[in-house]
Amino acid sequence: MHLSRIPAGMRYYVGAEARLRRKVEDTAMSVFNRWSYEEIATPAVDYYAPFEQGMGVAEAQRSFRFTDQDGCMLTLRPDVTSSVARAAATLLSDVPRPLRLSYVASVFKQQCQTSAEWRRENTQLGCELIGDGADAADLEILLVAVEILQQLGLRNSFCITLNHIEIFNGLAEQFSLDSTAREDVRRLIDSRAIPELKHFSNNGLSSTFAELVHLRGKRDVLHDAQRLVSNSRSEAALSELAELWEALERKGLADSFEIDLGDLSRLDYYTALSFKVFVNGAGTRVGGGGRYDRLISSFGRSEPAVGFVLSLDALTDVLANTGNQLISFKQ
Amino acid sequence: MITIAISKGRIQDDALALLARAGVRFNDSSLGSRCLTATDETGEYRAIFVKPADVPVYVEHGIADCGITGRDILIESQADLLLPLDLDIARCRLVVAGTSPNAIKGRGMLRVATKYPLLTAEYFGSRGTPVEIIRLSGSVELAPSLGLCDAIVDLVETGRTLRDNGLSIIEVITESTARFVVNRASYQLKAESITRLLNALEQIVNGVPA
Repeated sequence: MHLSRIPAGMRYYVGAEARLRRKVEDTAMSVFNRWSYEEIATPAVDYYAPFEQGMGVAEAQRSFRFTDQDGCMLTLRPDVTSSVARAAATLLSDVPRPLRLSYVASVFKQQCQTSAEWRRENTQLGCELIGDGADAADLEILLVAVEILQQLGLRNSFCITLNHIEIFNGLAEQFSLDSTAREDVRRLIDSRAIPELKHFSNNGLSSTFAELVHLRGKRDVLHDAQRLVSNSRSEAALSELAELWEALERKGLADSFEIDLGDLSRLDYYTALSFKVFVNGAGTRVGGGGRYDRLISSFGRSEPAVGFVLSLDALTDVLANTGNQLISFKQ
Repeated sequence: MITIAISKGRIQDDALALLARAGVRFNDSSLGSRCLTATDETGEYRAIFVKPADVPVYVEHGIADCGITGRDILIESQADLLLPLDLDIARCRLVVAGTSPNAIKGRGMLRVATKYPLLTAEYFGSRGTPVEIIRLSGSVELAPSLGLCDAIVDLVETGRTLRDNGLSIIEVITESTARFVVNRASYQLKAESITRLLNALEQIVNGVPA
């Protein structure tokens, strides 16, 4: 093999691009710092098992895996959140709550799912707010994300979509879906595959889930959704989402947010709020996050948590490609 | 501006007719040339014409906001796209075909030639049949009679090519029609324009608004 070759999905950053990337990183880290998020660095090489528990088998299996001297399976960190959750439950268990932690760290995957996500090394800018289950914590996380995007000069060119996983969970329970059917329906809704949803099963179920796909937009969506659901789990989730929306409206941020009840892409640890970040000029999402109230308990301590990540590489690409953004780049 | 990636060939004419009925008209002079892009009369939409298998690539990367291509192509590509609408054009079937119905009955290694290796592996894998997949890029119907394989997995519209090459359908895997696909980011960032186009197309296809 030629020594000059570089593995698929890996790259260098040099010169202006490296400086821009550093600037994006510094901007994010200083916002985290202003919101009192303490930096944490997690091991790059770790046991595989906690990630499978945290991210779910399908995601975790795409990571680089190898064995330790004793035969235990190791992985090149595919996710930071799972590792932070373990530290919260163990190393940091006696630190007063809420815990605010932030990081900039590379995550790796051996196998990309599709050609558009070609990077196999991805640097995440992220933060986690642990031990606070209040609605205010969800709002805080969103405000931190917004502040970073605004500081990067992306004020009018991003959109954050919001969903609450329990709306779907409640409906799945209402229609008594077993785990296979639940996963099939989740996948169809997430790819907005209305034709397949309509043919899925009995009429009530199909039309309800097909309708869910159409529920996106601003506040009105939540009213329409109320007519669709008739179970307490979904109703509770809708009212939580409504409160969050009102809080965002009071902050004057409604223009930057959308509710999208069809967004159900996989990351097994989210239990309530989940959100995605899109930026003009990037063909795929540049970040996302949500609430994961059960993840930390798998490491032996039961407590709520919420967090998000932004892709440093994707943000750098967008800013590099739309050079004029740099003029309004603060700091 | 909204960029629409349109599958060249079999689907193209029907897709353009459907778009025209939805109010997106590309004039004949721009379509007649060898140029692979065209802008519609309003200047709001741009069409790009690419090979069927490249439609999901352009849309997933967000170079095109949306696209029109066959369901067969989408299953094979495994691209992460939104699939909100069946356009109900270019209907055909994905089938297993061979010189006789017994061609796939053996318990040894089945050799199958196809343009759809992933789909073929999934189909025979789900029933536990060991299969050797031979990837071809065209004229797949030729392969069984020449002894390259026991059977083929291919797209069939009328079945005439199969018959002319001494093959018959053994099993139908699934139906395929042209689908309207949307990039995940465009679906959010250009929500208004995309929804308008989607609703206009849906009204024509289903006769009801979305």
